[in-house]
Amino acid sequence: MSDTAPAAPLVRARGLRAAYRSQRGSDVVAVDDVSLELSGGQVLGIAGESGSGKSTLAAVLSLTARPPLSVLGGELTIDGEQLDLSGGRRPPRTWRGSVVSLLPQGAMNSLSATTRVGDLAVDVVRAHRGRVRRADALDLLTDRLDALDLPRRVVDSYPHQLSGGMRQRVVTVLSTLLDPKLLIADEPTSALDVSTQRALTELLRELLHRGLVGGIVFVTHDLPVLRAVADRIAIMYAGQLVEVGDTAGLIDDPRHPYTAALLASVLVPEPQIRTRRVGGIAGAPPDLAAPPTGCRFHPRCSLATDVCAEQSPPLLGTIGAGYSTCWWRAEHPDEPLEARL
Amino acid sequence: MSLPRYLGRKAAWYLGALLVAILLNFLLPRLIPGNPVDTIVSSLSRGGVEGSQLHAIHAHYVHEFGLDKPLWQQFVVYLGHLAHGDLGVSFAQSPATVQGLIGQALPWSIALQLPAILLGWLVGNVLGALAAYRGGWFDRGAFLGSLFTSSMPYYCVAILLLYLLAVVIPVLPPSGGYSFGNSPELSAAFVSDALTHYWLPFLSLVIVFVGGQAVGMRSMAVYELGSDYVNYDRGLGLRDRTIIRYIFRNAMLPQVTGLALSIGTLVGGALITEIVFSYPGVGTLLFTAISQNDYPVVTGLTLLIAVAVLVANFCVEIAYGIIDPRIRASSRGER
Repeated sequence: MSDTAPAAPLVRARGLRAAYRSQRGSDVVAVDDVSLELSGGQVLGIAGESGSGKSTLAAVLSLTARPPLSVLGGELTIDGEQLDLSGGRRPPRTWRGSVVSLLPQGAMNSLSATTRVGDLAVDVVRAHRGRVRRADALDLLTDRLDALDLPRRVVDSYPHQLSGGMRQRVVTVLSTLLDPKLLIADEPTSALDVSTQRALTELLRELLHRGLVGGIVFVTHDLPVLRAVADRIAIMYAGQLVEVGDTAGLIDDPRHPYTAALLASVLVPEPQIRTRRVGGIAGAPPDLAAPPTGCRFHPRCSLATDVCAEQSPPLLGTIGAGYSTCWWRAEHPDEPLEARL
Repeated sequence: MSLPRYLGRKAAWYLGALLVAILLNFLLPRLIPGNPVDTIVSSLSRGGVEGSQLHAIHAHYVHEFGLDKPLWQQFVVYLGHLAHGDLGVSFAQSPATVQGLIGQALPWSIALQLPAILLGWLVGNVLGALAAYRGGWFDRGAFLGSLFTSSMPYYCVAILLLYLLAVVIPVLPPSGGYSFGNSPELSAAFVSDALTHYWLPFLSLVIVFVGGQAVGMRSMAVYELGSDYVNYDRGLGLRDRTIIRYIFRNAMLPQVTGLALSIGTLVGGALITEIVFSYPGVGTLLFTAISQNDYPVVTGLTLLIAVAVLVANFCVEIAYGIIDPRIRASSRGER
């Protein structure tokens, strides 16, 4: 494995594996040997269909995995600090919220109904900085709200007094209150309408520009949103990353058949795409309790050959710069995929 | 709707409920078969009083208690007295007034139950929340223990304790609120005597109450634990005790209802516990009054219980608003 990234990346994850303990005693490995890198100031989008393991990956990265999900192994390095995730070791509490922070899906239920926003902020600051005066903690929150043009009234509000979009932005402010180096956004836009989605993605960009967040991993099934927010995109299928690349490059010239199929199933009102038929992907995502041998996409892939069913595909490229894992691509390095679908 | 209007409307509902309760409290004891005068007269006949005299005494008592009037007239008389704050005179223990009898018994019941309920509620809820959060063996032990004690009837716990601590290892007195021959007064000797009599009924109440509260709190907290905000708060690196506090506050609503209702029914006395330990509280008073068909005492006590339960419920509705901002908002029509 050659690592040619010039400077050390902000976030470096290697060999992440996590499994759900099922009732029958067998494990369902939902994240299987995932490695990724993220440079400072960038947004890495992780896309995939339901059941691809992307939310599980978000739980692993945000260190919030809890039973029945358990982390089997992997190594996470953030800004030079290394964390070994193997052997069921519990990550330190203080990492969560200050080094890695979670921006959850559905802010509707992410705030306790009986706690004011300001009180939660005070508890968050105190959880990391020890005995802090209440007024100082609240100052931190109001300063942040002012800087991001959000109304100060939310400090004294209960969650039910805020609109859905405002609640999501408030949760974003709370998640980034302690200037985390890595923010894991797990489908933050999925419950919002298009205009509030835009407000949220602009807020995230703003946080990056001001250096209040080191980098963002943005997990979603919504490719158009990713296209607007992400610098780089990783495509996940059946618990593994099948392709990683720059946003523009990945969308214009997908390297993996699954990426191409995924892109072809999205409605985008752009001239060159408008004429194309929207195709689905035949078949269904595999059962992760018994994933297909070889390349996990081969049963649904129109380009699959015998080797795809027998051996795991090679990694073409580098983890730092971008890659795809595909036997067909190994033999056809320059052929565009769009024509083949 | 404004808050005063909301409270006013609630108060009107409670007033209506009180009126119905007054009517039922008056009627129901009088529907029990038997007659208080018969009971009194039959006890006299054992004393060797002659038949004709018995008839005269019977007629006198019936007239004295107003039992010769039709039921509705009795009710009107009762309402008239009630309006003046007069609960009447006990039939069986005349000339003792109902107020006087309740006044003697109530302090015993309150002193026995209020600490038991408060302590049991607090311990039970903390235990339940901890069990849910910790999980594992602690949870299993606490849950099974709580389930066991809470599903045991009061009298079983009471009799078991009585047998263990007063018979097998006679460290505590088996019955009464104070030693025979002692009389209630404010002296060190009497207080310490009353305290040794206090432990057994107190323990039997606390044990059952802790169990019931812990089981309820645990299931509420388990539900809350799976909610998104707990996951998010963990993601923010909050301390466990902070998260437990949040869970506690959200899971508390039904528990507060339970607490208020227990305090409401408290004035009715812990009937079975008081009977098992012959404790001189309201429960024992009610039990004797029922067995003697002592209408005024029964009616007076049930009225007291009804008022206390209604007041407790009213307080719960107000407390809900304080604990849960959503209920406050909807009661004011803010939504």
